[in-house]
Amino acid sequence: MVGATEEARLNQLESQVDNGGGGAWEYLCLVRKLKARRSEKVLRHGIFILNSHIARSKLGGEEWTLYEQVAVAAMDCHRNDIANDCIEALSKKFPGSIRVGRLKGMLLEAKGAWPDAEKIYAQLLVDNPLDQIILKRKVAIAKAQGNLAAAVEYLNNYLETFMADHDAWRELAELYISIQMYKQAAFCYEELILSQPTVPLYHLAYADVLYTMGGLENLQAAKKYYASTINLTGGKNTRALYGICLSSVAINQLTKGRNKDEKDSADLQPLAAEALLKDYKERAPEKLPLVTAMLRNIKLVS
Amino acid sequence: MGVGFIAGVLGGLLFAHAAYSTIQYRGMLKIMEEEFSGPPTNVVIELLLGFVLCMVAGLAVPGKFHSILPDSEENRVVSLPSNLDFMIFNHRGRLSPFDPELKLKT
Repeated sequence: MVGATEEARLNQLESQVDNGGGGAWEYLCLVRKLKARRSEKVLRHGIFILNSHIARSKLGGEEWTLYEQVAVAAMDCHRNDIANDCIEALSKKFPGSIRVGRLKGMLLEAKGAWPDAEKIYAQLLVDNPLDQIILKRKVAIAKAQGNLAAAVEYLNNYLETFMADHDAWRELAELYISIQMYKQAAFCYEELILSQPTVPLYHLAYADVLYTMGGLENLQAAKKYYASTINLTGGKNTRALYGICLSSVAINQLTKGRNKDEKDSADLQPLAAEALLKDYKERAPEKLPLVTAMLRNIKLVS
Repeated sequence: MGVGFIAGVLGGLLFAHAAYSTIQYRGMLKIMEEEFSGPPTNVVIELLLGFVLCMVAGLAVPGKFHSILPDSEENRVVSLPSNLDFMIFNHRGRLSPFDPELKLKT
């Protein structure tokens, strides 16, 4: 999870390193810790450290972690030559290592040689059939080839064994959303909320899925989950505020004509609209007229 | 930090002094051949004071408290880690190649 303070620290370090203020290693460590995908910066600053002999020898054993990090970043930037050099350095140091084998497979993936990559992974799986990362890479291969149905199948098989892996549940939810199987995606998010009830982003994603499915019951549940997101973020999540506004408008449209009592949450929508306007006034005053016009259109403010 | 540490040391000294006074008091009771009815007032006061000082030190010295509220700045989750285990490489980066002069020297 990336907290607000940590993110601010990461951005501050990034601009410091970009402007030549030093602290590159600290930045790379933070990127690794937060699992951020900032491959361009990692590649640029990582190579800089690896090329300078003094900086590299200061790292000691951590040098090899950096080689791995730079290799992956290079693949992400499509600089397969750099990735290849890094992997060669690593396999010279650690011959026969599974982790290096994994990197070789990833390099083949980056080149688009799917069958070869699969062959390497299959060989590695013979020695260690429960290697989680390799099993996940197989899902990624299917996904990269555009074969989402197969990716879903692999991932379901994987989750039968490793049910507590929430990253995999999240990936499965995202895959289901991209093939528009919202019911299944909702199930995945339910699982995630059960395992980590204090992460507001899961509540938010679940509410989004429910809102997308539509129907009165789903919309009401979506509104509740948007509300819990607001509760967990202290009202600082703009998307949840919008969600409250839109889902209550949709509920009102569905219940129009029927005299269903909606008294329990009648205060919620004007409050959300008010919070939204206040937020915009503080952080983006030039967009305030747009938001006011939009909210007026859906009759949440007068 | 400094104030808390001094308070802790003072508290410890007070405890030691209280122990010393208690031993003396018991010796005196033996000489006077009286029954033990309760600790003397100065020992009780010292103990209470030492307790408060040590508590202050215990709260102040080890460091700052972390927030337990889910919506505080430290705990508020703003983004999830990108799922690097499932990372795939066929994105638009392929079309804009990265700085070709960058090379790994070996």
